[in-house]
Amino acid sequence: MTGLAAQQQCFLQALFDWPADVAEGRLSEQLAPGALRGIRAYQTNGHVLAQRALAAAYPVIAQLLGGESFDSLARALWHASPPLQGDLARWGAALPDFVRVSPQLSSEPYLADVAHLEWAMHECATARDADPGPGLASLSMLTTRDPQNVCFQLAPGVVALRSVWPMVDIVLAHREGSPDLATAGERIRAQVAQDAVVWRRGFAPQCRIAMPGEFGVLNALLTGDSLAAALDCAPELDFSQWLPQAVQSGLVLGVVDHA
Amino acid sequence: MSATQDSTGIGWRHPHYAELLSRNPDVDFLEVHSENFFADGGVALSILEQGRAQYPVSLHGVGLSLGAAAGLDPWHLEQLVRLVERIDPVRVSDHASFARATLPGGIVHASDLLPIPFTAQALNVMCANVQAVQDRIKRPLMVENLSAYVQWKCLTGEADLAEPDFLNQLARRTGCGLLVDVNNIYVNALNALPRGTQNLPLERCCDWLDAIDPGAVGELHLAGHSRISDEYGDIVIDDHGSQVCAPVWQLYAHAHARFGAVPTLIEWDTDIPALDVLLAELALARSHQMRLPHACQVMENPFETRQPQATV
Repeated sequence: MTGLAAQQQCFLQALFDWPADVAEGRLSEQLAPGALRGIRAYQTNGHVLAQRALAAAYPVIAQLLGGESFDSLARALWHASPPLQGDLARWGAALPDFVRVSPQLSSEPYLADVAHLEWAMHECATARDADPGPGLASLSMLTTRDPQNVCFQLAPGVVALRSVWPMVDIVLAHREGSPDLATAGERIRAQVAQDAVVWRRGFAPQCRIAMPGEFGVLNALLTGDSLAAALDCAPELDFSQWLPQAVQSGLVLGVVDHA
Repeated sequence: MSATQDSTGIGWRHPHYAELLSRNPDVDFLEVHSENFFADGGVALSILEQGRAQYPVSLHGVGLSLGAAAGLDPWHLEQLVRLVERIDPVRVSDHASFARATLPGGIVHASDLLPIPFTAQALNVMCANVQAVQDRIKRPLMVENLSAYVQWKCLTGEADLAEPDFLNQLARRTGCGLLVDVNNIYVNALNALPRGTQNLPLERCCDWLDAIDPGAVGELHLAGHSRISDEYGDIVIDDHGSQVCAPVWQLYAHAHARFGAVPTLIEWDTDIPALDVLLAELALARSHQMRLPHACQVMENPFETRQPQATV
C-alpha cells in the first residue's frame, strides 16, 4: 500500500471505526496540530448525512422510532455498514437486516419487514422509466394468443413482498392515514400476515395489500415466466378480478411477446 | 445571457424545482449535483430534463473522489457519463478531494470531501483520475479547491506543494479547468488563524488567488459559511447555508479582476431560503461584476461546451 493509500485508509477508519479513539490517534499524528476539531467536524457531518439519507428512505421507520432513536439507529448503521458508493440515495439497503438482528429492537419484530417494504418503495421511485410499450390495446392479445407465448409489461419498480406482519397497513397508516393507526395497531397485535405489491404509477410509488395469489404470479412474471407459467404458480389468483384492477391502477401496462 | 453580462447562475435544489420551472427567472445557468440524478429513472431526472430545456446546466459532482489512491469507482464514472450524454451540460466539475479508501471489509465511500496532501504522489493520483474522467466524458473537467478542516503533515521524503501550485500543475498536466471557490479560500484562512498564520485572512486569500494560473480558471463559486463553537472548540464550516459575506465579496472582486469574466455560481445547500433570496444574491453578484474590471468582456471559456441558447 502506498503512503497516500495508507493515509486515506487511516482517515476513513477515523470516520467509520466505532469507537474511533485508536484511529483518531493514528490520524492525528499525520495531521497538523489542532486536527481533532476538524476530525470531529467530518465525523459529525457523516452522522448528519446518515440521518438525512435514512430518513428520506425510511419515513415510516423514522416515525415509528421517533427522532433520537432513529438518529441513533442511523449512526449505528453508518458505522456497521458504511456507504460503498458516492450516491447516498443508494445507501441504507442493509437496514432491514440490521433491524432484524438488533437486540434493542427485538420487542418490535415487525420493524424489519416494514423497513423492507419501505426500501422497495424507495427503489421503486427511481426505477428505470417504462419503455414505450404496446399500450393497453395489446390486451386483446390475451384472447388471440396462447398464454405460453405472452407475458405482461409491468410498471417500473414492481416488487411483491411477503410478511407475517401487517406491513402494508403499518406503512399506509403512517404515509396516508388509511387505515388509521389504531386499526394498524390492532392488526399488529393479531399478527395479521400481509403480502405487499409495490409499483410506480407515473412517478409516484404505490403499495397495497396483494390479492390472493398475486405474490406468486408477480414474482413468476418478474423472473421471466410466461403468463401461462405465472398463472400456474398461483392457482388461487382470480385472474378475471385481478386483471382489470391491475390495468386500472397502472400495475400492468400491456401484453408483450414472451421471449 | 446578454453580450455585456457575465454568466451567473444558481444552485438548483429540490425546494425550488417547481417554482423555478414555472417562473423561469433571469438566470444564466443552473448548477445541480450530479449524484442526485444518477438514478435510472423517476421524477428528479424528468425535472432536470425540463430545466435543461430552459437553461444551460452545469453538472457539479461531490463524489468522484478524484484524489483517491484506491482509484475511481467505475460505477460512479459510468453514471456520470450517462448523465453527461443525457443532459449535455455546459460544464462538468468535481473537487480536489478523496472519499474512497480500502478498509478491511472492502472499499468504502465516506460521502464527504476529504482533503488530500499536496504532494507529488497525490498529484500523480489526481492527474491519473482526472484524465480517466475526461477520457470518458470527452470534455474537460473542472476541479474545485476545497474547504479543508484538517491539514496533512509532510510524509517523510515528500515535499509539500502549496495548494495553488498543486492545482496549477494539475491543470497543466491534464488540461482540466480550475473552479475557484472563493468562500472556501476564506473559510480555510479563517480556520488557519488559530494555527498562528501571520497573514490576515484577506491578504492570505489574495495571495492564494494571485498564485493561481488565470488561464486555467473556468468558474467561480460564492456561498455562505458559519462558525461553530462547541465542546470541541471553534471551527468555520463551509455549510452553504447563508448569504455571501462582505469579505468574500471583496475576494470575489479580486478574483474577477484576476481571472476575468468567468461564470459565477451562487451556491446555497442547507437551510435553503426562498428562491427570491437566491435571485437577490445573483443580482448582487451581477452588480459587483458591472463595477469590476473585465465587465462587458465575455471571453470564450475553454472549459465550456458550446450550447444553443435556451429558447425562453
